[in-house]
Amino acid sequence: MDITETRHDNYSVFKLNGRLDSNTAMGFEQKLFECIEDGNQRLILDFKDLDYISSAGLRVILKATKNLKNADGKLVLCAMQDYVKEVFEISGFDSFLPIVPTFDDAVKTI
Amino acid sequence: MAQIQFELRNRLADLDVLCEQVATFCESCGIAKKQKFEINLALDELFTNIINHGFDDEAEHQIHVTCAKNDEIVKITIRDDGVPFNPLQAPQPDLKCTFSDREIGGLGIHLIKAYIDQIEYKRDADANVLTLTKILKNG
Repeated sequence: MDITETRHDNYSVFKLNGRLDSNTAMGFEQKLFECIEDGNQRLILDFKDLDYISSAGLRVILKATKNLKNADGKLVLCAMQDYVKEVFEISGFDSFLPIVPTFDDAVKTI
Repeated sequence: MAQIQFELRNRLADLDVLCEQVATFCESCGIAKKQKFEINLALDELFTNIINHGFDDEAEHQIHVTCAKNDEIVKITIRDDGVPFNPLQAPQPDLKCTFSDREIGGLGIHLIKAYIDQIEYKRDADANVLTLTKILKNG
């Protein structure tokens, strides 16, 4: 999986390309938490090119969301493929995570 | 009827082998992209479960997988020689609880049950055998 991280003044963007599974979740967690520890508390996860997610990926997102909530931060997810979105719905994650259709929507929400 | 059989080692790196084999199987028998995703996810969750809970030694073990499609029914068996472990008995996550009470993890088996129509576990001699049945729907 390729992760492209872009830091802006008010928010940071992680663009994921490929598969977020037990093999790649740890690397993603590391990058995400480095960014949070550097004081970035508004994060956008761009899933446009994410082909796959398993519970290992959900675990990282839940952990980051909890961490950010304690710090008054925010995590927004965008541009998911339908079947990736369904995984979030089945898991009930859509009840507490903002999931928006496009990257532009995410920038407006953050 | 299309059938494929392969072996995985109890190493996370073999998730990539699993993914390739599922893709080969699904493409050879014309299974749609979304259903390929669902089969891949169910097998991924079971495989990582087996690796995490199935073995109490450091040795390398083989996990045997068979996928077969007959008409609109896909049958998958997963056989490992680990300690007796029935993933169906794992505690269910509470999906309705408030966000701050949500546990990290425990979701794998919930996803499997959402995507697979029937799952059976049996202990056969010294092996765990899981049999998954997925009925392919249109689309």
